[in-house]
Amino acid sequence: MPAERIPPGAPALAPGAVGVQIDGVTKRFGAFTALHEAWLKIEQGTFMTLLGPSGCGKTTLLNLLAGFLESDGGEIFVDGQLMTETPPYAREIGVVFQNYALFPHMSVAKNVGYGLAARGVPKAEIAARVADMLALVKLSDFGHRKPKELSGGQQQRVALARALVIRPKLLLLDEPFSALDKNLRGSMQVELKEIQRRLGVTTIFVTHDQGEALSMSDRIAVMSAGRIRQVGTPDEIYRRPTDRFVASFVGDINVLPARLERRLGDQATVLLGTLRVAVPAETVEGLAPGAPVDLFVRPDALSIGEAGSGVPGTIAAHVYQGSHVDVVIDSPAAQGGRLLVRVPGTEAPARWPVGQPVGVTPASGGGIAFPPEG
Amino acid sequence: MRRPLSHRLITWSSRLFVALVVAFIILPAFVVTLSAFNDKAILTFPPTSYSLRWFYRAFSYKDFALGFQNGLIITAFASTIALVIGTGFAFALDRYTFRAKRTLEGILVSPLVIPHFTIGLGFLILAAQIQANRTFAVVILTHVVLVLPFVMRSVYVSLRNLDSRLELAAASLGARPGRALVTVTLPLLLPGLVSGWLFAAILSFNEFTASLFVTAQATQTLPVAMYNYVREYADPTLAALSVVYILVTATLLTLANAFLGLGKVLNVEHAR
Amino acid sequence: MKTRPFLALFVSPAMLAAGALVAAMAAILQFAFRAFVPGSMEPGGFTFANFTAMLRPLYADVFLQTVAICLMTALATLIVAYPLAYAIVRSRSIPLKSFLLVTALTPMFLGEVVRTYSWIIVLGNSGFINSILLGLHIVDRPVQMMFTTFGVVVALVHVTLPVMVIMLAAALSHVDLDYEKAATSLGAGPVRTFLTVTLPLSMPGIVAGLTTAFAWTFSAFATPQMIGGGRVPMVSTLIYQLGFSSFNFPFAAALSITALALTVAVLALARAALKPLERLGAH
Repeated sequence: MPAERIPPGAPALAPGAVGVQIDGVTKRFGAFTALHEAWLKIEQGTFMTLLGPSGCGKTTLLNLLAGFLESDGGEIFVDGQLMTETPPYAREIGVVFQNYALFPHMSVAKNVGYGLAARGVPKAEIAARVADMLALVKLSDFGHRKPKELSGGQQQRVALARALVIRPKLLLLDEPFSALDKNLRGSMQVELKEIQRRLGVTTIFVTHDQGEALSMSDRIAVMSAGRIRQVGTPDEIYRRPTDRFVASFVGDINVLPARLERRLGDQATVLLGTLRVAVPAETVEGLAPGAPVDLFVRPDALSIGEAGSGVPGTIAAHVYQGSHVDVVIDSPAAQGGRLLVRVPGTEAPARWPVGQPVGVTPASGGGIAFPPEG
Repeated sequence: MRRPLSHRLITWSSRLFVALVVAFIILPAFVVTLSAFNDKAILTFPPTSYSLRWFYRAFSYKDFALGFQNGLIITAFASTIALVIGTGFAFALDRYTFRAKRTLEGILVSPLVIPHFTIGLGFLILAAQIQANRTFAVVILTHVVLVLPFVMRSVYVSLRNLDSRLELAAASLGARPGRALVTVTLPLLLPGLVSGWLFAAILSFNEFTASLFVTAQATQTLPVAMYNYVREYADPTLAALSVVYILVTATLLTLANAFLGLGKVLNVEHAR
Repeated sequence: MKTRPFLALFVSPAMLAAGALVAAMAAILQFAFRAFVPGSMEPGGFTFANFTAMLRPLYADVFLQTVAICLMTALATLIVAYPLAYAIVRSRSIPLKSFLLVTALTPMFLGEVVRTYSWIIVLGNSGFINSILLGLHIVDRPVQMMFTTFGVVVALVHVTLPVMVIMLAAALSHVDLDYEKAATSLGAGPVRTFLTVTLPLSMPGIVAGLTTAFAWTFSAFATPQMIGGGRVPMVSTLIYQLGFSSFNFPFAAALSITALALTVAVLALARAALKPLERLGAH
């Protein structure tokens, strides 16, 4: 794993202080193992995302952290304190639920003040801290309203305020954007990130949306089938996936069957027909020269040229995306028979009309190779 | 949009059928109202003269007054006790696994299928055996057992509709289980508790078959007094009393529907 | 979570209530095997006589007739209740919905005595229907409806209707309107849509409604007693007669136990027989 980085803009903390430490935590439901020995260390103040498809164990891990479930093995530490046996009400962990779980029979102010009242904070102080928190989430004038009378975005901000007002050691966010429409989602993401950064609270965010994960996180843990597959910065996850699952789950990807030519230090080359492509060596370790490999290439690392210049194909369709055009190319050489190429600008449809034979070339160093499946 | 004639025919005939069913439901109430205002002691349709004399008689008849009073006492105790027992048990059913859970649940809902005369006879014999012959306590106990399944169902449905994440949210904010129960769970269950109590109260007040077995002259409830009246007299006094009954019940139900959303409580429409 | 706060507090009152019910049933069971001592409330020694007596045609017939009346009532109630339940669930007008709901439910809360008394006035020889028929010269002698099985079934349908409507409406409300729309969009007419989509999907409610209607009818006492007037004997009226006219409580207890066993058996049988139907609606 690459060296830990302190996220830019994070408040001054003891350098490298561990916020959350998950040591070999396992959870079984009957015969089904929802989480296999998860190990994870999260620095204080980090925005960590658990990313994976539904059923991958990310929500189970979140529930274990909150204390809503009991683990079948392993330990959880928050700010150096063992949490495994602590009941949820004594964990000092804020949770924003998928549907927000605002108390429908209480006003916004009562909702936000609930955790303080439970701690026996004096009324005047509750009022002051609730007011501060509502100001932070820009809902100062809404304290007397009932949750039902608020929009989805406003409800989410109340949920965030309610979780933050107790000054939690850890903030858990369970797919908080899934109930919002697309436009609102973007602005809420920015707002949430801003608040998180300002308060410097260690945050664990659960999502199945890779776009959300890439844009918001300091670090991402990709999960599948109850296991953590890779932990890294969004860029590492996107550019240097360490296994096939991560490569295909995060972002669009093209898969081209190729052969390993040779390995030299931390670089290797693979042959795609006659085309030679440089890739990192670590993912093809242990393979002999000549062994079959799959070359994974992002759509923006492919370029289209005249027929005969690279992997042969025929233009099948254009998908206009505003700042770029996604070109779909029928190519028998690619896995699935199709390639996706992202061409900047909007000239692609005119230059490469549907039906035209073309050659597709991967940019050098833009791909990554894995041993074939099975 | 014009649909084919056959479709419209189906639509209209089904509407007609529903109207006929509604008429069937209302018919007895309508007829009983007509005869309650009939001046004559013998049934005649249509009545030739009208009066309120049967209402006076219904209100002045001693057994009815006593039955009404007994009914109120028994209903108040039985439905309140059933609410406490049913709420606690519905909670345990929804939240916990424990030994004999299903057995206990099975026993408590069994009065839904055990004939009321069996239950009535059973408690009558039991009372005789423990020398508690037909006291209020025996009647109340019988009623508690009879209405308990309805209370349990009402509370259980409300518990199911309650988002369990609200309680998790309370816990994550530092509320201990007791506090979460009092500040979050119970307030949200209140409509279910109120309608469960109301349900139990109405059923208990009107219960007849088992009451016939377990009540004595001193503890007889209003339905038992009414039944005894019909066996002795043929005049429309009971019709007058029935009209009062229908009016009070329909008013209560309309209020319950307006304030509690009967459909939601009975689970015939989804909570939105 | 492993911790179960308040468990004992929640469950122990329920255990007391269950205990009382079990004790009452045990008391009946115990009485059912005791000899009847005429003129005495105290039962005699252990005997099977109460159960062998039931095999006499006189009593066996009452059981058969009771089951027949219950079946007729349950089916008739289903046919009457279904359209009403459908109208309650699908009606788009809120006032109409509320009106139908309150109308359907009010009889349930009136109690058997009030309802049955009303039906006596409707069905009697000088009652409402006969007055109309005679007044319009459709008949020249009153049609006998009191003291007939027909009269008892009509009143029993009225008694069981609310609970059937509740169960059907609950099942129908879980049938998404989009299924019906989808069927219509695929070219199915209203009848085909109903038969292929709505009816199978509401099957769980139909099964629950039929079995509950059966149990309620079996348990009914005031209606067969007041409208049947002893000429339409059912198990419930027989038991009351034995208990309060002849004070033969041991035999009444034996009949009660048998009635309970029969109810349970019929319900179990109905569930098993209707299981394939119910599976149709499993969703």
